[in-house]
Amino acid sequence: MSGKFWAFWLLLVPILGVATMAAGPLYGIWFPRDVSAHGHAIDHLFYFILWLTGIVFVGTQLTLVTFVWKYQAGKRQTVEYTHGSHHLEVVWTILPAAALVFIAIYQMNAWAMEKMDRPPGKPLAEVTGRQFEWRVRYPGQDGELYTPDDIFDVNDLHVPVGEEVLLAVKSADVLHSFFLPNFRLKQDVVPGMKQFVWFTPMETGKFDVVCAELCGWGHYKMKGQITVESRSDFDAWLARRFEEQQATHETAGDEES
Amino acid sequence: MMVSMKARSPKSLPGADPVACKARIFPRFAWAALLVCAAAGCNQHPDAQFVQNRLRMAANEVPGDIQVQIAEILAAMFGTPNDPFVPPESGLDVDKLRMAAGPVWSDELGIKHGLYRRHCAHCHGITGNGKGPTAAFLNPYPRDYRPGLFKMKSTERAAKPTLDNLRAVLREGIAGTAMPSFKLLPSDEIDVLAEYVKYLSMRGQMEEALVRFWFDEVDAGELIPEIRDVLVDELFAPIASQWEQAYDAVVEPEPAALPGTERSRKELVASINKGRLLFHDAKKGNCMSCHGAGALGDGQVNDYDDWNKVVVEFEDNHQQADLRALDVLPPRTIRPRNLRLGVYRFGRRPLDLFRRIHEGITGTPMPSSKGTLTPEEMWNVVDYVRSLPYEEASRPRHMETSIERVRM
Amino acid sequence: MSSTAAGDLAHAGHGEHVHAGGFLTTYVFSRDHKIIGLQFLFSTLLWFFVGGLLALGIRWQLAWPWAEMPIVGNLLFASEGGQISPEFYTMLFTMHATIMIFFVIIPILAGAFGNFLIPLMIGADDMAFPTLNMLSYWFMWPAFLAVGASFFVEGGAASAGWTSYPPLSVITEAAPASGTGQTLWLIGITCVGVSSMMGSVNYLTTIIQMRAPGMTMFRMPLTIWGMFITAILQAFALPVLTAAGFMQLADRVVDTGFFLPEGATANNAPMEAGGGQPLLWQHLFWFYSHPAVYIMILPAMGMVSDIISCFARKPIFGYKPMVFAIAGIAGLGFIVWGHHMFVSGMNPYLGMTFMVSTMLIAMPSAVKVFNWLGTIWRGQLQLTTPMLFALSFVSMFIIGGLSGIFMAATPVDIFIHDTYFIVAHFHYVLFAGTAMGVFAAIYFWFPKMFGRSMNDGWGKVHFLLTFIFLNGTFFPMHILGAVGFPRRLADPYHYATFRHLQPLNEFMTYCAILMVASQAVFVVNFVYSMFFGPKAGRNPWHANGLEWSAPSPPGHGNFDFQPVVYRGPYEYGSPESDADYYPQIQPPPEQEAAGAALEEAKT
Repeated sequence: MSGKFWAFWLLLVPILGVATMAAGPLYGIWFPRDVSAHGHAIDHLFYFILWLTGIVFVGTQLTLVTFVWKYQAGKRQTVEYTHGSHHLEVVWTILPAAALVFIAIYQMNAWAMEKMDRPPGKPLAEVTGRQFEWRVRYPGQDGELYTPDDIFDVNDLHVPVGEEVLLAVKSADVLHSFFLPNFRLKQDVVPGMKQFVWFTPMETGKFDVVCAELCGWGHYKMKGQITVESRSDFDAWLARRFEEQQATHETAGDEES
Repeated sequence: MMVSMKARSPKSLPGADPVACKARIFPRFAWAALLVCAAAGCNQHPDAQFVQNRLRMAANEVPGDIQVQIAEILAAMFGTPNDPFVPPESGLDVDKLRMAAGPVWSDELGIKHGLYRRHCAHCHGITGNGKGPTAAFLNPYPRDYRPGLFKMKSTERAAKPTLDNLRAVLREGIAGTAMPSFKLLPSDEIDVLAEYVKYLSMRGQMEEALVRFWFDEVDAGELIPEIRDVLVDELFAPIASQWEQAYDAVVEPEPAALPGTERSRKELVASINKGRLLFHDAKKGNCMSCHGAGALGDGQVNDYDDWNKVVVEFEDNHQQADLRALDVLPPRTIRPRNLRLGVYRFGRRPLDLFRRIHEGITGTPMPSSKGTLTPEEMWNVVDYVRSLPYEEASRPRHMETSIERVRM
Repeated sequence: MSSTAAGDLAHAGHGEHVHAGGFLTTYVFSRDHKIIGLQFLFSTLLWFFVGGLLALGIRWQLAWPWAEMPIVGNLLFASEGGQISPEFYTMLFTMHATIMIFFVIIPILAGAFGNFLIPLMIGADDMAFPTLNMLSYWFMWPAFLAVGASFFVEGGAASAGWTSYPPLSVITEAAPASGTGQTLWLIGITCVGVSSMMGSVNYLTTIIQMRAPGMTMFRMPLTIWGMFITAILQAFALPVLTAAGFMQLADRVVDTGFFLPEGATANNAPMEAGGGQPLLWQHLFWFYSHPAVYIMILPAMGMVSDIISCFARKPIFGYKPMVFAIAGIAGLGFIVWGHHMFVSGMNPYLGMTFMVSTMLIAMPSAVKVFNWLGTIWRGQLQLTTPMLFALSFVSMFIIGGLSGIFMAATPVDIFIHDTYFIVAHFHYVLFAGTAMGVFAAIYFWFPKMFGRSMNDGWGKVHFLLTFIFLNGTFFPMHILGAVGFPRRLADPYHYATFRHLQPLNEFMTYCAILMVASQAVFVVNFVYSMFFGPKAGRNPWHANGLEWSAPSPPGHGNFDFQPVVYRGPYEYGSPESDADYYPQIQPPPEQEAAGAALEEAKT
């Protein structure tokens, strides 16, 4: 087997690597649709890193392939007997370091936005992860959670579109993780710890809530749904849920619970 | 994959001599590969089977040959986990059953099959006996459908649940248990699953009817073929009609006794106070005898629900019983609900709580209060129970202190 | 040990039972580092097979969810028609990872190769503490037994993830296997930890104290530097994991509350002792487990460096920078653990600090890659099997290393954490990286271990098949991660958004099955060559290291002469030598002449 044979197989790595990453978006196997106000910052950062690492990837792999192709035993009679190059070491230490520090600083803003800059005000709802469902609790008319007019639901979170939504998230038992793929939002929920997540939905529709931290055998079942709707629809839905919750008799077409 | 590789002996590697062994390696490799393939291919394909209700068989000392006959009758009436069918009297939709039964697969249109096995079997068991692989580790145990007893329903205590009740359980799940909410499944899939639960329940009830019939009526004889069909009609018809009549048994509160929709705070408080008194009154509500004076569910802890009672009775009568061999989970006592948690298993609407009090809970020691409380009094108790989670005494002390960490 | 006995052993083939002490002392409770190394090698290769089967179970479920699983379905789930239960799946990925990390990669690098090579490469006759060495192997056996037994207890083997986060792992009712299975898992991990710590003490002492004359620190091969720095990592990081393991054991068995908050409960279990923090476990666990991942690659990097230099017939490019890069990776490796916890509820300010250190750690790795490329530049490449594996290590490590940069970026990690992007990353560095490095090392040092060579032709077949199928299995995982496809889901197609990914998963499963099947070529080659391979001399590859001047296989005491070192290990293509290599122990011409003159004078 000549060097050319093996160089060919090593060449497939950058070729198929780039092809796969390009084919993904082409065949619809790529990021879920981003419907949040700030999600694009994350996508943008991903693409930036993808390009940067992509260039390094292709460059280094092609170098490897070229060397394997060219420097076969028997073709050259002597090797380049050297122990290295101080100059090169400095160059290829400083350059990656600079690139990495640049990326580090470049992304600090996005992180702060997602995790540090909590908007003021009371949460729209409290979401509690529990083996194996998402329990949702709205404050009701008095605006306070844990009062008798709270509105309860399971796996079905509604939020109004175009407004900044603040949610309190917690866990009733083990670790779970509140993951909204279409909002690029993820936060592990920890029992004994009250945390907040915030986002601004920009489009109406129904999107997934995924549990992203192993919580037991039903981890895969812990699917919820977040419905983004107009403020008026949201208010109407909330009012309807409250009425249903107060029911003392069945009304027509009403076997919900 | 036999690539012929020219053996090279590179100058710088005089020690290696790769050529000679190749010819001897291949035959060994081929045999090894063949063995592996054979082993994999000889895999038997297990078919899911319904299991018998061994506990009831053992309790009634049903001999082996009768057990076989019972199994045959059930197979003839209800089919197998892969291939279900039902007597027409059941009122069940066989197409739905076919979608629920069998292994998990999707057809070209993306319509899913094997729904029961996908969503339910690992807890409720293939037979609906509440003994899937996960069941032993759940608290409370998953429901055994075979006795035909269901807790979560809107009907009278002795009646069966309606199909709407079954759908509601699937949709909302059961808060405070391992039964999750399947709200996000398409409604046609929920219908299919509810139908299949009914099917498993009917089948289990028929098995019990056959066991008791043999025990009561037939004296060590056979279930002779001629009378089989007649028996089936006589035994199965009551089961099917009970299910049919469920909708007639829905509990609707008397309109006259309903609390008003716009009550003032004073009225509400008065109702709650009345409810509190009834709760603690031994001759009226008598709730505290089980739910405890503090409504923490610690009034009594030694009773069993009907599913576990059967096991306990069997254990009492058969001291050396090996429950494992009988496919039975170790019995657990039933805990009355801690009413201060605000966790309601069958719905939190006043209507739902009213029904609990009115009918009690089928299969459990929770009694019906029809004889001791008037409907107005029941609504008072409902108000009291609904207020309990918001009492000062119900707030968890420790969560308010700095031990609870608030992140950012 | 007299020289004749050593000579006898040097020529003893397999199956010859030699000298007083009997079979047990020679082959089972041996204190000879080479036998202990081989014991580690065989044990870990067997567990590799077990771990691989568990992985196939995972891949099967992901390709054909709820379909009847071969063998296992028949044995354990016959009444369900062969369909596995969801908790079985959680056990599969937990035990796959646990076994691969603690029973395969760590012991094969440090235990098998570290043990076998360190004294040979530095010119020592054995380790500093031979009995401790033996104990370090035998301490693995309680772990093997505990973990092996855990598969058969009620509830099954541990299934809270190899990361074993509380409260899931601590509250016994939270998961079926969080009963006995989890306790046995903790015992297993503790035993492995003790074994590794014993090993590190031994390796550090041996390397520092027992180098042959002339073997300065900067004349040591990079394999030894890798082992040395790995041993430091083990020594400093493991105690934290062991302590955390005891704390979790205490929480489970004696109701302490290190990791459980007030009122912790799950599955309606009675409330557990509180006042603790689930995040505390994560900090303690990752404080060890992040250096652990460097433990799992640095020795392989060292070995790959030696192999590349040997088959490029050129010195390693930038030897000292390579050493400092290893040290840099290890040092930085202690301050990056929080990058596993960016979304865990840890203070976001810490997220920023860990992000910076994690970004920086890519730097020494990059330096190493460039130096490997520099080594093969203008070399005379001999593309033997070990060289192919070593080169593919470089290629695959580039992928694994670069994908790490995505997750170092905290906002991106918000999205890709706990998705298949992470799975892709660590399989590229651990399997496509380290495991390929391990294969390279096995093919390379096999002649030294067994006195016979493996078949190079079949080795290349093994290489090509593994290379193709591993890329087919793991590269698409990057795409899955971009979709947000989560880890550890028994049925990801529960979510409509992921349903269209099932064909891709099917493809990956086919590749995985073929990849595992291809290892049969290796196994047959290995076993056959052990007994019937062509005999190898002392130095079949014409390499420079000290180990190649010992007999193949070396006897007790390793060298039949006193090694003296005259140069570094990478003097390939040196103008001072007639051949294209220049062994470390070969005296320079003047000294050789002087030595010859001395010999003559004596006679």
